[in-house]
Amino acid sequence: MSEAMFCDDLLTAAFPGILKHDPICAKSSHFTVPKDRLPAISHYLHTQPSLRGRLTLLWACDDRPVRDSYGLYYLFTLEASHHWVVLSTELAGHDRLFPSITPHIHAAQWYEREIRDMFGLIPQGHPDLRRLVRHEHWPKGTHPLQKDFSWNHVLERQQGEYRFHHIEGEGVFEVPVGPIHAGIIESGHFRFSVAGEPIMQLELRHFWKHRGVEKLFEQLTLTDAVLLAERVSGDTTVGHSLAYCQAVETLLDLQVPRRAQYLRSLFLELERLANHLGDIGAMCNDTAYALAYAHCARMKERVMQLNDRLVGSRFLRGVLQVGGVSWDIDRSQLSILVEELDAIQRDFSEVGAIIFANASLTDRLETTGVLTERIALDHGVTGVVGRASGIDQDVRRDRPFAAYDELPVNVALYRYGDVRARLRVRGDEIHESIRLIREVRDKIPNGPIVSQPRSLPKPGAWTLAAVEGWRGEILYMVMAGEDGRIHRCKVRDPSFVNWPAIQWAVLGNIIPDFPLINKSFNLSYAGNDL
Amino acid sequence: MFRIIKKSLRIGVVTGRYQKAEKPELPVAPEAQDKARPFKRSLAIRAVDTGSCNACEMEMNALLNPVYDADRFGIHIAASPRHADALVVTGPVTVNMERALKDVYRQTPDPKIVIALGDCAINCGIFKGSYAVTGPVEQHIPVDVRIPGCPPRPAEILAALSELRKPKG
Repeated sequence: MSEAMFCDDLLTAAFPGILKHDPICAKSSHFTVPKDRLPAISHYLHTQPSLRGRLTLLWACDDRPVRDSYGLYYLFTLEASHHWVVLSTELAGHDRLFPSITPHIHAAQWYEREIRDMFGLIPQGHPDLRRLVRHEHWPKGTHPLQKDFSWNHVLERQQGEYRFHHIEGEGVFEVPVGPIHAGIIESGHFRFSVAGEPIMQLELRHFWKHRGVEKLFEQLTLTDAVLLAERVSGDTTVGHSLAYCQAVETLLDLQVPRRAQYLRSLFLELERLANHLGDIGAMCNDTAYALAYAHCARMKERVMQLNDRLVGSRFLRGVLQVGGVSWDIDRSQLSILVEELDAIQRDFSEVGAIIFANASLTDRLETTGVLTERIALDHGVTGVVGRASGIDQDVRRDRPFAAYDELPVNVALYRYGDVRARLRVRGDEIHESIRLIREVRDKIPNGPIVSQPRSLPKPGAWTLAAVEGWRGEILYMVMAGEDGRIHRCKVRDPSFVNWPAIQWAVLGNIIPDFPLINKSFNLSYAGNDL
Repeated sequence: MFRIIKKSLRIGVVTGRYQKAEKPELPVAPEAQDKARPFKRSLAIRAVDTGSCNACEMEMNALLNPVYDADRFGIHIAASPRHADALVVTGPVTVNMERALKDVYRQTPDPKIVIALGDCAINCGIFKGSYAVTGPVEQHIPVDVRIPGCPPRPAEILAALSELRKPKG
């Protein structure tokens, strides 16, 4: 608490004009600031040595027709205390301009372009105002998240061209890859500029899979939308639905039973386990190390079949609901589960010993695709990728949710930022997940698994929730509408902040190593494109 | 080396260790079976994702792991539509992917089979009606086989593919 007071006092002392509100959730502060002071205040929050706020989320909200304005919200996480500070401002009347903070907080770059596309609000001073979500064939003036844009509007097509950055010079040529790739991979476009083998520049062109998820949320009720949250990024079914449920539970002022909290942690760790096993295998596969791939893919399949036997879904779909969980796991099932996981752990240790003894694999992984800590910080990189570059950050430890307040997590941390570090982080987290599940078995209390909501939230009430999914920090902002509906839901998958960083990690590497580097990030296209 | 061999011997053969799906949920049309006949016991698949949540991709990837090992049925993934006998399309078709899907269909040599994998590819699923979705796959290219599920289990995908290539009689 003292930490929060300290931060609030510092801000109000430095900027007397700002207005403090009630916090939107635990460990947070909320201030309204005048629009023209935004760059100064955000710069102060970001650079002041005792605060060092990391830009965590930036979103807009169309408050018309209730109020004749758009709201802009900036979420910062303070480095030492992991306290949340939200700055909000209003664009009233016909005002469509807001000052860009990208020139001094690089992490804002995609958020501001996204807001321009989705709301038609223009970040003044942004160095790159090309379209991001809306591809060039979308007609001018279509901004889907404006309230007067109908959710089932049929888009027309126009002619247009996306201008890539070009590097010119003797022997420089471009290699376009995608949107459809040569494997079973999601859709996205990569444009490499190379001279000979080394990559001089990589530019991403994403959002091919934009499905209008945030607009679809606005058509649903708070309790029904869990189904949609599960399908934002299929491989992170539990991560996304858990973050969504937590946000809604804060809005409904709902206490989730302890047993349900433990089960939530259990499901989240199972998801992490399956995906990390698969990733390690896939990374080895991209170095043509088929043996390691076969073993890891086999172990991943074992976890997926375990999920299926446990709850009837390989992706743990339908296990979470607002207020708790919909599947109970009894004591004997838990024991069988832990036995199976013990076997998987032994299995993985043996495979790990084989993998890391392989000198030619180590040679391919070390110093490949280095993401320096500086660049990771500037992009606000999160999750596995961040922890491999020395960013000591894990929501499970920093802002405990579910049962993590009673299940302390040992955070894996490596500093080299290369592909090997990302592999090691995953390897350590596999052991940690299994250890956590063992602890869940020992500590889980008896009791109900779901509590029913009694009332509906006030329209306009909003809150935030964060979950450490297997990729990293997943954020949900949910604002309640009339009759238990959703007014606005902002979804942020860790992929959205990690994708731009990959453009830096590949520099100087050769194109044949790109699949390996990309796999070591293993980001979601669906969760990014929404 | 000794460690690697020991590990492989201890694990043994894992292929086939999954619960088999008896019959595909949706029957495969005889016309589709006729269309698949020229490919005999081999099928080169080009995977096209037109906006799925990536769960269907994960299950497709699972087909290649040692447990399902789709290669033993002659099924493999082609790196170019030019090399493909069949397109497997996942996800509702988004406005941004519509043109790419039509391109890939045009570039796949005839005869070809189009397989719509997952509920989204068949009827857009939960994304139906959205401004960013232009309708199910069959609205843009002719679909021969439908494999429902959200996502379908790998065993179900294998069942549908073997039904598709069932010998006549």
